[in-house]
Amino acid sequence: MKNRSIAATALLLGAMAAFFTLSPEVSAAQVPTGRIVGRVIDRQSGQGIADVGVQVVGTTAGVMSGVDGRYSITGIPAGTVSMHIRRIGYQPKTITALMLPANGSIEQDVALDVASVQLQTLEVTASAERGTVNEALDRQRTATGIVSSVTAEQIARSPDSDAASAIQRVSGVTVQDGRYVFVRGLGERYTNTSLNGARVPSPEPERKVVPLDLFPASLLQTVTTSKTFTPDQSGDFSGAQVDIQTREFPARRTLSYSMSMGYNDAASGSQILSAPSAGSEWIGFGGEARKLPSLVRQYGNFNSNISQLEYNRLVRSFRNSWTADAASGRPNYSTGVSIGGEDRIFKHPVGYIGSLSYSYGQEVRENEERAQAVGGVNGTTQSFNAFRGSTGRTSILWGGLLNLSTWIGRNSKISLNNTYNRTADNEARQDSGFYDLGNFDIERTMLRYVERTVLSNQLRGDHVLGTRHTVDWAVNYAGVTRVEPDRSNLTYGFIPDVQTNQPVRQLLTAPEANRRTFGDLDEHSISPSLNYKLAIGPETRQTYLKVGALYRDAKRDVDTRSFSIIPQNLTEAELAQPAEDLFDRYSTDDSDVFRVEPYLTTGSYRARERLSAGYFMADHPLTDRIRAIAGARVEHDRLEVTTLNKSGTEFLSGLNDTDVLPSIALNLSVTDAQNLRLSASQTLSRPEYRELSPLLYQDAIGDEFVFGDTSLKRALIQNYDIRWEWYPKAGEVLSVALFAKRFSQPIERVFVASSGGTQISFVNADGAENYGVELELRKGLGAFTERLTPFTFFANGTIMQSDIRPGNEGIVATTRDNRPMVGQSPFVVNAGLAYTSTSGKANAVVLYNVSGKRIFAAGVGELPDSYEQERHALDVSVSLPVWRTIAAKIDLKNLLDYPYEISQGQVTRERYTAGRVFSAGLSWRP
Amino acid sequence: MKLEGRTLRTFAATLLTLGVFTACGDDDPPSGNNSVDPPSGLTVTATSATTTRVTFTAVSGASSYIVQRASGAGAFATVGTPAGTTFDDVGLDPNTQYRYQVATVEGSRTSAFTAPVTVTTSASGRFAATLSAPITASRTLFADSVYTIQGYVRIASGATLTIQPGTRILGDFNTPGSSLFVTRGAKIVAIGTAANPIVFTSSQPVGSRKPGDWGGLVIVGNARINRNSAGTSIFTEGPTTARQDYANGTDDNDNSGTLRYVRIEFAGYAETTNEELNSLSMYAVGRGTTIEYVQTMAGLDDSFEWFGGTVDGRYLVSYESGDDHFDWTEGYRGRNQFLIAFQSQQIPQRAGAGSLSTDPNGFEGDGCENTRPFCTTFAGSVPFSNPVFANFTVVGFGSAFTTSSGGYGAVIRRGAGVTLINGILARWPRTAINIRDLATDTLRQRDSVTIRNVLLVENGANFDAPGGSNVFGQQANFASNNIVEASGTAASLFVSLTPPGLDWTPSAASAARTGGLATFTGSVAARVSGLFGGTSGIVGTSYVGAVDPAGPKWYEGWTVYVIN
Repeated sequence: MKNRSIAATALLLGAMAAFFTLSPEVSAAQVPTGRIVGRVIDRQSGQGIADVGVQVVGTTAGVMSGVDGRYSITGIPAGTVSMHIRRIGYQPKTITALMLPANGSIEQDVALDVASVQLQTLEVTASAERGTVNEALDRQRTATGIVSSVTAEQIARSPDSDAASAIQRVSGVTVQDGRYVFVRGLGERYTNTSLNGARVPSPEPERKVVPLDLFPASLLQTVTTSKTFTPDQSGDFSGAQVDIQTREFPARRTLSYSMSMGYNDAASGSQILSAPSAGSEWIGFGGEARKLPSLVRQYGNFNSNISQLEYNRLVRSFRNSWTADAASGRPNYSTGVSIGGEDRIFKHPVGYIGSLSYSYGQEVRENEERAQAVGGVNGTTQSFNAFRGSTGRTSILWGGLLNLSTWIGRNSKISLNNTYNRTADNEARQDSGFYDLGNFDIERTMLRYVERTVLSNQLRGDHVLGTRHTVDWAVNYAGVTRVEPDRSNLTYGFIPDVQTNQPVRQLLTAPEANRRTFGDLDEHSISPSLNYKLAIGPETRQTYLKVGALYRDAKRDVDTRSFSIIPQNLTEAELAQPAEDLFDRYSTDDSDVFRVEPYLTTGSYRARERLSAGYFMADHPLTDRIRAIAGARVEHDRLEVTTLNKSGTEFLSGLNDTDVLPSIALNLSVTDAQNLRLSASQTLSRPEYRELSPLLYQDAIGDEFVFGDTSLKRALIQNYDIRWEWYPKAGEVLSVALFAKRFSQPIERVFVASSGGTQISFVNADGAENYGVELELRKGLGAFTERLTPFTFFANGTIMQSDIRPGNEGIVATTRDNRPMVGQSPFVVNAGLAYTSTSGKANAVVLYNVSGKRIFAAGVGELPDSYEQERHALDVSVSLPVWRTIAAKIDLKNLLDYPYEISQGQVTRERYTAGRVFSAGLSWRP
Repeated sequence: MKLEGRTLRTFAATLLTLGVFTACGDDDPPSGNNSVDPPSGLTVTATSATTTRVTFTAVSGASSYIVQRASGAGAFATVGTPAGTTFDDVGLDPNTQYRYQVATVEGSRTSAFTAPVTVTTSASGRFAATLSAPITASRTLFADSVYTIQGYVRIASGATLTIQPGTRILGDFNTPGSSLFVTRGAKIVAIGTAANPIVFTSSQPVGSRKPGDWGGLVIVGNARINRNSAGTSIFTEGPTTARQDYANGTDDNDNSGTLRYVRIEFAGYAETTNEELNSLSMYAVGRGTTIEYVQTMAGLDDSFEWFGGTVDGRYLVSYESGDDHFDWTEGYRGRNQFLIAFQSQQIPQRAGAGSLSTDPNGFEGDGCENTRPFCTTFAGSVPFSNPVFANFTVVGFGSAFTTSSGGYGAVIRRGAGVTLINGILARWPRTAINIRDLATDTLRQRDSVTIRNVLLVENGANFDAPGGSNVFGQQANFASNNIVEASGTAASLFVSLTPPGLDWTPSAASAARTGGLATFTGSVAARVSGLFGGTSGIVGTSYVGAVDPAGPKWYEGWTVYVIN
């Protein structure tokens, strides 16, 4: 494995070198000239402005800005130059002190202020202008609704390696399991994820959730969390819409390379469990070697008669790998390369960025505890089936993107964005404890391997037609896969001997004891969309009318199968053999030992969802300082889910709804630096596909039996938000927000009692409310004393409360009424202190994150709710220039190594620590 | 040896009928004596698709007769030993040729056999009908038809399903899990006769039937259970689209109908792993219901399982179970007398139907499983499970096969009470009597677990050993309860412990003839009174086990011990 990672690096390096040497060098011109590129934007809205004249003072060089406000001027004599920018309706600007190197290019963005009368030209230096632009690009300030974003720059300064860790810096966001995002205490059901504006399907078979650790940080431009709904957004929205924007191409060709090595104090160097690998796991292609054997597939649901000889062959067709290896832990490792720029191809300027990243990590969960809780004396809880063990996990994450864009004329921009990410987790878990049903101790081993991929292609066009019309369109393709091939579960029992009563370690023969599971999920969607925006009224007080339509056709195929391999009639001594020997020895043609039984037969389904949506919205200035944004979205959704029961009978269920979702917002500019936003909207939440199927299946993740309800309806949600925000200086903010949400018939996961125990299902609860306060503060400390100028303090916090009433009708919930919604923390706080040297080259950040205890699962009957306990995290990251364009970065992650813990009453249901990670790396920009 | 003797007898009998012999020869080997004559006038008529009636003329001085049957050209086997001259044979296959022969028994002497008489059972019901829709209005199933249950068929509240004696009801193999649900408020009145039992079996042809071919018979009553869910549903096993709520019952005297002379064969399909249906599942069934003369055979899960409720029962036979024979939980409080269980093998189940149990037991009693919602603490669920089982003969599998757990004659756990009295526990490979946990032992100390007058034989251990993980069922805890171990083998206790000619009558010198508690006093007397809602209760016996040495052989005629 180690050699392979090095090989991977070599490959990346080689590819990079090849690209670099083969790419055409900009040939040296006779007269030293250079190029200036950039964008012209509106300082208020942050939007690019087309048709702006950009002129290099004292030359004939000049252009008009195009779509998105982009411009590019070539053939400018090198040296110190000035640039004059003007457009009707804006205050003209002259930028001075632009240092243009010979044969080089520089990037200069410009922000213009709206002006009703022609004013005198404002003159600013190039460096001063950058601050204005930064402010203008602050999406939070300029957005129509309430958004929070994390930018590439912030991510680069943090130790965050993927989108999941980056987004937890946003106010009101909690990240569960290092992957799944909860916003304002609303579960994954209420959070959507899109990539460059296009919905990313869920790669999990039973949940609507996108694990954000799928997206390497190096590919990200911004991660934006919209917390209020506007009609141009998807309607199944309540907590947030998380949009991941992949990187934009730089103005001039840049090449960067980075690598880092890490040390996990729990994993590196110590003996950790691992699952035997198969296939090309080092690049996340281990699935083929672990595929469901075709012989097994032939038997379908095993409803026909099967002879002993056939059983033996079936057993032999499985990969005979059951036992975990112990290997010494290796350092974490990551590397990345990216290249981007803008060149002329066939006289068309083409912007491009290509990026590849690869990372390898190991995680160990030591002293992992798992237990069930049952009722004890006097309302207490007692631990039941308690197990203790450890888990070793090796994760690979790699991905790449290639974004291209070009201009047709000055007014049309066409882009093609492509992203592909792949993760592979190889996990081995071993634990042991008392098993009540058998009345003896058992030892369990689970080996699992999961690959997930996300592929996204987007062809997009932006057109400015005249001065008042803007049209954009896109065709998006998104595909996700999740393959969990050949998970094995192996169980040994310490069973008292019939004669001696002494425990003898032997393979357990219960159907759940020894299993192989194969999971396969594929979803792909195609989604065209079109938006048209019309600006009317005077330049200085324009009203924007926006209409648009979207269609999405998504198809999902899930196939999960599990098989029990059951040895029968073996003696104690025979069952005491190592698993691999045992499965080999007794599966010969003439053996009469094994049976193979399908264990999980209802895990397969197909779904198709067709969504048509259209909207109209107006953004109208009521006064100079107040804008009203109002509109409505109509969504028609047709969902069909087909599940198959054990005997192959199909169950059809689905939804067919049309909803009108109105939204209204008022944005008040109290002063130039203060905004007050008010908004109210109606949104909805649809059941996840599987929740509509009546068939009982076992959740492959939590091993609980779950069934859905065909009569489940979509929930409607009313959202109310108020936010006051103050931007005292560029880069500083203080904001306070209040939010309230009222849910009508929210879909809630509930417990259902059966003669066999507990099962899980879904109901439309009677109702729920969720409300809270959000605070955000970012402040440069230079205001207090000069010496603290390089330091910035920032913090955000959310305090919230929710109340859900599951109700008492239909499938009856056995959980407590009037309790917080599952997953809602009473508070979430992020705080940090950032240091940036005056040169801007060295920086450091300390980040702290805490979320209050939240319900992990609602209690059943007399049992209390189980809570995920409060968890504190502290991370430190330092970046330093080393030599020329080489910079070093040191990350210290999870310094407190606070345990992850779920408890229910007095019982610890689950607990582990993951270890601290120290990593150091270098990046190089030639 | 046996086969040889039989063949010779047959041969001899044939010759005799042909008139070659003018006098009886001395060469009729087994116990034949030429001074005893076989009966004359042997007539066999097919009385239905699955039953025949054998009649013959009495031989003076005869103490009983031996009736033997052969299927087609197969070998003869004894199917009955009637004292009178009429014998009803049951459990036959429709439209099948059988041969019968009869011999006379006079004391210790047996005559030669008559010449065989051939009979063909009538074609299975003249009519075939399918039950697939819910039964919402009362209706009758007639013996002249064969009914096929297709899917999960329920009898709706208010409706009564009456089934005529001799009716065959098949669980459709091709619709896996097909089952009959008698829902709360509905009734099943399935009253057969010893000669014409009602048979629920697999739709597969004879010879290819397997455990799990179909689901089973599920009865949901309105009696109380001890999962106190206060208004919240608790669902039975079975698929989510068919299963029933059995919680919050209020009437312990509820009546779900009558099962009498009913056989349930090859049931136990599992819709989902660990959710196998039992052959006969009784959820919250009240004591107004009558369950007697019921045999289960070759089910994939438990034979009889009670989830709460109060229903009484008697004359229950469990022959070859996939899991436990008698299983109760969740506050079951019924009284049962005369029960037989026999396990000698694990019969391979239908592919894909579920799994054979890894912890099969004779009796398995739970107070309330503490992992199930609404089971209050370890022994706090009320009403307590506290059934009575009197006069049981529960025979396990010895060393015939091994399982990773189970193999107990009686496991009492999770706060269950029980009265086990006047019974026999034989051939259980682990322990005959196992008290699993402290909660249950606490009930024992409070006299709610009463085990007495039990005969043990050929068990791995009689009681829980000191020092193991099971410590509560130690011998010292049952010191003066007349729980004794018989010397010799289990087989020696009975007339025959070998299928298909199983005869549970205690053998001549059997220890089972004595040792019973003939008079009930105190708490036991209180628990057993008012069986089936009447004035009489379970009666004490001087013998132990399911069968009175003096007869009657109540299992004869309507039970079968042939797995095909």
